[in-house]
Amino acid sequence: MEPSPLHAEPEHPGHFDYEAALAACAAGDRVAFRRLYEQEAPRLLGVALRIVRQRALAEDIVHDACVSVWTRAASFDASRGSARGWIYSVVRNLALNTVRNESRHVAVDEETTQALEAEMSMQAYQETTDTFELHASMGRLQQCLEALDPARRSCVLHAYLEGCSHSEIAERLGAPLGTVKSWIQRSLSSLRECMA
Amino acid sequence: MTASHHTQLPHPSPPEDLDTLAGEYVLGTLTGAQRRALEQRMVHDRALQQAVDKWHTRLLPLNQLTDPVTPSAPLWARIDASVQALQPAAPAIAKAIPTTAPAAHNPASAPRISLKNWWSNLNLWRGLAGSGFAMAAVLAAVLVTRVAPQATTPQYMVVLVAPQDKAPGWVIQASASARREISLIPLGVAEVPADKALEFWTKADGWNGPVSLGLVKPGQSLQIALDKLPPLQPNQLFELTLEPPTGSPIGKPTGPIQFIGRAVKVI
Repeated sequence: MEPSPLHAEPEHPGHFDYEAALAACAAGDRVAFRRLYEQEAPRLLGVALRIVRQRALAEDIVHDACVSVWTRAASFDASRGSARGWIYSVVRNLALNTVRNESRHVAVDEETTQALEAEMSMQAYQETTDTFELHASMGRLQQCLEALDPARRSCVLHAYLEGCSHSEIAERLGAPLGTVKSWIQRSLSSLRECMA
Repeated sequence: MTASHHTQLPHPSPPEDLDTLAGEYVLGTLTGAQRRALEQRMVHDRALQQAVDKWHTRLLPLNQLTDPVTPSAPLWARIDASVQALQPAAPAIAKAIPTTAPAAHNPASAPRISLKNWWSNLNLWRGLAGSGFAMAAVLAAVLVTRVAPQATTPQYMVVLVAPQDKAPGWVIQASASARREISLIPLGVAEVPADKALEFWTKADGWNGPVSLGLVKPGQSLQIALDKLPPLQPNQLFELTLEPPTGSPIGKPTGPIQFIGRAVKVI
């Protein structure tokens, strides 16, 4: 895939004040809410879509996330992290809860399971030729990820970006489940130390 | 989860395990049940919450690797409508019911006070209902239309949501009949372990504790007369908890809350 021109943008676009946008939402400013939506919705939709893999569902998640951001804006606590980070955590939690809760129901329906698996192996195939591309805007995290073995790095990226479970990652990498679990645990240890 | 710490690193201390758990939560590799358990634990466990916050911050730059996708044009309209429905000027449920139940449609009698009530209740709802609220409100309005088109307009509406992901699970509507009956309507089939039962509770402000309204089967509608209880109050709490098969042995909730919501006056 061609790197998007947006990759040239800095991680924290200096011209948008996410903290101020949330404060305005908390005060009931719907114009500010709209600006926040225009600023971030495309990326949020991309993030949700990559995890849930269905366009309509991804839009539902962005809808629920935006309504949640609006209603909970007053409870945002800047001492716990950035406003932008909080918005992404809302979307990611909704998307991950959706795929984790769904997989239990899907397991009952054999036809759906087969279709999903076919889709997954197709994606895995496509992605072996399209490795994750890190870029400089990720700062320290990029260096820390590059310090990991490629397989361990892939575990982290499949999980975070695509919402893959342990067994989905095992399937994609062709590695045993137990190995994947310990790779992930060790990757987390390494990242924590590297970013300290 | 297999906790295989056969590395040479001297790091088997609990803080690291907690941190790894937090990391896996943010990474997304925990199962649905593990996610819910962790979210419940996070409410009281500050160290865990801080570890989760840190992982969110550490991994946030990864989102830059995902290309933006332009939302469809109606998405903003939907969000805007949902947010407007939360405003005092246009309450979603109060508005939806009169228009869908023509018998009760009487614009002249829609007093401003009820809108104010709605709003003050909504503030209380904000913390509780969170993300699933808009969807729940729409569902509730649709359900009322479908289930009881001829019935008297409900006096109160409650949407019971799962405490973790705020997914709406049940709707309660209360009519102004003499028996003060409430209907509990499932929006899906809740999952209940084989050796457990769902028990239905209510508690209004000023009561000493919750009162049991009996056991509830997942996926089944239920009518309950509340004529032995004081009249329903705005903001009255309703919840479904997981209890032993014959119900709580002590007459108070003992198990985890599965669904929770507060009464909102709709007319």
